[in-house]
Amino acid sequence: MPSSVELIQSLINGVGIGLVYGLVAIGFSVIYNASGIVNFAQGVFVMLGGMFAHTLLTTLGIPIWLSAIVSTIAVAGVGILVQILIITPMWVRKAPLFAIILATLAIQLLIEQIIIITLGDQPRTFPSFTPGGPLKIGEIALGYQLFWILGCGALMVYALTQFFNRTRMGRALRACSQNAEAAALLGIPVNRMLMLSFALSAALGAVAGILITPTQYTAYSVGGPFGINGFIAAIIGGFGSAPAALIGGIVLGVVQSGAIVFFGAGFKNVVALTVLLIVLLFFPNGLFGGLAKKA
Amino acid sequence: MTTASATPLIAVSELAARYGHIHALHPTSLYVAPGEFVTILGPNGAGKTTLLRAITRLIASSGHITFNGRDVTGLKTHQLAELGIIMAPEGRGLFGDMTVRENLVLGAFKAKPGELSGRLDKVFTLFPRLHERLDQIASSMSGGEQQMLAVGRALMADPKLLILDEPSLGLAPRVASEILSTLGLLNKEGLGILLVEQKAPLALKLAQRVYILSSGSIQAELPTNQIKSYHDLARYYFH
Ligand SMILES: Nc1ncnc2c1ncn2[C@@H]1O[C@H](COP(=O)(O)OP(=O)(O)O)[C@@H](O)[C@H]1O
Ligand SMILES: [Mg+2]
Repeated sequence: MPSSVELIQSLINGVGIGLVYGLVAIGFSVIYNASGIVNFAQGVFVMLGGMFAHTLLTTLGIPIWLSAIVSTIAVAGVGILVQILIITPMWVRKAPLFAIILATLAIQLLIEQIIIITLGDQPRTFPSFTPGGPLKIGEIALGYQLFWILGCGALMVYALTQFFNRTRMGRALRACSQNAEAAALLGIPVNRMLMLSFALSAALGAVAGILITPTQYTAYSVGGPFGINGFIAAIIGGFGSAPAALIGGIVLGVVQSGAIVFFGAGFKNVVALTVLLIVLLFFPNGLFGGLAKKA
Repeated sequence: MTTASATPLIAVSELAARYGHIHALHPTSLYVAPGEFVTILGPNGAGKTTLLRAITRLIASSGHITFNGRDVTGLKTHQLAELGIIMAPEGRGLFGDMTVRENLVLGAFKAKPGELSGRLDKVFTLFPRLHERLDQIASSMSGGEQQMLAVGRALMADPKLLILDEPSLGLAPRVASEILSTLGLLNKEGLGILLVEQKAPLALKLAQRVYILSSGSIQAELPTNQIKSYHDLARYYFH
């Protein structure tokens, strides 16, 4: 049996990584709700966030806060490019949704290859945003980066909720997700809104990647695992609101950390996928029912 | 009303659309003059919705469209809306999970912030019920209230031409005539209206001209003052 210190420590770590999954999950949900597309290139935005920030920070010596902002904007730009170059042309040609989803998978692989060629295949990391730590409470150690993850995660969800409920563009995005034709009939440029959703999702992924890199590492290949875990979190959350996706991420993160403590690292994904199947069996529309609305 | 010389508000020429091999709309021409109320009548499956969806570019079609004399054939749905061609679609197309207020505000997506409250006031004057239900979720309202919201939301967009696809469908006659009368009122103020209905005597009474659509083609075009009874139209329905 693991000790209580081990348990609490893993719970806390689980919440941290879970928030990161949650941000990726929100990214999945934003695009899915705007278009019905499951963007399997979501994980690649996480990878690009970490890789860009690392390059700006270590190669160009730009301070971390500025590296983070510039990287996030650059990755949002990549998201827009994906939408303009691949998604919209397929959309206009009335490609089946399934083909578009396959294309996002190809985009993920393509971008990974471009990163190997340009930045290399070696894993890399950068230090925590604030030096020092960890904070010790009894035997429990809390790395400073965890607080950055908690703070930024909470801030992002708050800002997103405000955006979707209070702003003209946010409302228009929700309108497109509920009835794109009706939105277009009112003068809302649906395609521009799809572009906005890609930019937003990519930025969310980038923030996740920048936040998590100091606690582990980044490399061309981290997009896959983050994408899959974010996808599972999105399903648990039901592809609905930002808070629902975030809770889906935290549930997943905590369950995974628990699985590592109880059964060993090898069981991390076994337990995660089991949780996913249990959720789908008993809550087929996600824990918050969001999937019921779309289909 | 003679309009042959004046520039029509909207003129559609040889518009045709199909679903795969099914020609749902044969080349069709029609117009609405400025300030005119035009009704298109036709039985279920006649192609009325197809025609309106082709006009608003929700489906691809051949043919030409001019609006206020300008060729708008190449424009997209949202660009036509910006020019003032606003449709309350079949089935109302409400944002069901949103409140009445949010639906209305979205109607004014293209408005300047200063224009919002004036437009809201106007809609509340026409449909006081919407004012009482501002914070209600759209899908939880009665059918009549939902249709009022669909029309109200379209009005929030400040239409120059208001297109409506069977607004009275599924409503109690009293509620339907309440909504249609409001359209008459708006037309008196100068708004161009293109209304599609299956059968609605009031829709005939309000309109200045009526087109009869059946089997994907216009069978007749009549000034409404030449129609003595509703049954006069029946012979056009079966072709
Ligand atoms: N999406 C579609 N796919 C195939 N056929 C359709 C579609 N929509 C309508 N139709 C067919 O086109 C014809 C006209 O339909 P519609 O325009 O909806 O008629 P109306 O609005 O007058 O009832 C009908 O025969 C209908 O079955
Ligand atoms: Mg119809």
